Amino acid sequence: MGETLPPGIAGETFAKALDEFRAAVGSANVFTSDADRASYLDPFAVGSQEDHACSAAVAPADTDELSKVLAAANRHRIPLWPVSMGKNFAYGTAAPQMRGSVVLDLKRMNRILEINEKLGYAMVEPGVSFFDLKAELDRRQSGLWMSGPAHSWGSVIGNALEHGVGYTPYGIHAETICGMEVMLADGTLVRTGLGAVEGSQEWQCYKWPFGPMWDGLFTQSNFAIVTKMGLWLMPEPEGMAGVTIDVPNKEDLGALIETLRPLRLNDTINATYTIANGWRQITSGVRRADLYSGPGAVPAELVGKELARRERGWWNVIFNLFDRPGALDLRIAAIREAFAATLPNARISVTRWQKGEPQAPWMRQEVTLSPLGIVDWYGSPGGHTDFGPVIAPTAERLEQVYGIIEKRFIEYGIDPWIGAFGLGGRALVMVADLIYQRDDKEMTGRCRELFRKLCEDMAAIGVGLYRSHITFMDDVVKMHTWGDGALPDLNSRLKTMLDPNGIIAPGKQGIHGKANG
Amino acid sequence: MKAVHFLALAIAAGALVPAAFTAKASEARSGQDIYFDKCVYCHDSRGWGTRVLARRTPPGEAELTKRKDLPAAYTKIVVRRGLNAMPQFTPTDLSDDEVAAVARWLDEQN
Repeated sequence: MGETLPPGIAGETFAKALDEFRAAVGSANVFTSDADRASYLDPFAVGSQEDHACSAAVAPADTDELSKVLAAANRHRIPLWPVSMGKNFAYGTAAPQMRGSVVLDLKRMNRILEINEKLGYAMVEPGVSFFDLKAELDRRQSGLWMSGPAHSWGSVIGNALEHGVGYTPYGIHAETICGMEVMLADGTLVRTGLGAVEGSQEWQCYKWPFGPMWDGLFTQSNFAIVTKMGLWLMPEPEGMAGVTIDVPNKEDLGALIETLRPLRLNDTINATYTIANGWRQITSGVRRADLYSGPGAVPAELVGKELARRERGWWNVIFNLFDRPGALDLRIAAIREAFAATLPNARISVTRWQKGEPQAPWMRQEVTLSPLGIVDWYGSPGGHTDFGPVIAPTAERLEQVYGIIEKRFIEYGIDPWIGAFGLGGRALVMVADLIYQRDDKEMTGRCRELFRKLCEDMAAIGVGLYRSHITFMDDVVKMHTWGDGALPDLNSRLKTMLDPNGIIAPGKQGIHGKANG
Repeated sequence: MKAVHFLALAIAAGALVPAAFTAKASEARSGQDIYFDKCVYCHDSRGWGTRVLARRTPPGEAELTKRKDLPAAYTKIVVRRGLNAMPQFTPTDLSDDEVAAVARWLDEQN
């Protein structure tokens, strides 16, 4: 890869900034070689990796070093792109939204500062991965459980900040955040919530003390750099039940969500549920070329045949229940009763676990990287990104949104590999995966067009997204048109006030501020 | 030169965190230690990397430690650049010295 500079920055100025970064963190922690910079490219880029290439990377070890990096960046107007573990796969990984930004790699800030068994929380730094936290909980024989996402390489903080999800009652990870320490662009260190009270012992205990609650402002934003975070952890349950429900027919989607929603809303289902469509279920254990080599998306008829061969329904629902064994019996009976009334052909299977028994993979308590296996679905080298609309879980809304998305995927010749997370009783996050062969320029171009067309489709019916790849952040922010774009404008004003030189993650979530506007 | 095959490495727990809550140890670790810390999650006998490699490697060679052709120079390139479904490792994931150590150890196993 060739030399890359931050936009509008002369080579001489950049060289001075790098010297100051080296003075701040040590030469060994400033990365400028081609090989090192290439390691921060997005491995699953939906297009050219060079579109989001960094100019360098700098890795401070603590807040003192971080403040010196920020001071140098302010002096020379160098844009920084903070990453914690830098494993935000499908959304850009460690690559910056603005080409030429310097990756601010926080992986060396990797301490688990506290695990509080009595109060059920952890305090961690950005460079702590799910692997790290799980290993530490195991080492201590902790009575607390982690809620992990699909893959475990990422940062505990980073995943919560990006609104990631898991499969336990604590599965909406942003909702487990309780108290942050952040560094503003001018180097000021701020503790949110009760952390602002000297000597507080309740910083990680209560989210709503005196004054505004700022934690949410630092998620999916570029207003500050999160240097510490409190996260609530779940006490180990007395028992678990793993429930799998196969719903046979494609037209059953409305009835399915009308059955699931009340069960989730009244907490009978007390953790995230997932729904997978037919296309999503036929990928395990096979390559696409083994099933289909014709034009366009794998036809629905073929999907139906493959599902029949696997004895699967068109819709597959998976969730875990957490409770004492006797209470689990009641929850399972209520679920069976509800499905018997609305979808009598649904097949329900249940697996049980009690405290003290060995754990099994279905409990999703083990760390894993296996989801990466799907990226080669179309062939190597593969890649994927997700289109993630947030939907009210009613039959009318879900059928409307699902119908539009499936149709568009087929129109663009991409397999509609679609699932949904049931987050609480009032929202579904649909995850429509665009899987592609990333060295096929025509195909990645088609995927970019599809994503942008879907943004238009969703905006037209008032649906927004929960997250996006860096390539599409400016497209997604344009969906927020209410009040003549009042919310994006507020974000921009806040950005300009807190970071007048625009050095922290310009372009993140489409927030640029005046300096980069 | 023998054909090189898909190689996937992945991370496991970083050196841990420990009780005194000090930063992770930075002392040199052996290639073997790094392999079992960083690579086995995808490359043990049941890992997804091994399953993918089984499609492309000679019978019995899907696990990295059982490969007959895994030169250290190749491993170093793949770890830093990634290959196919395997994402690359940044210098803060694994230093150049650590990459060299694990590449050398794997070469010695083959």
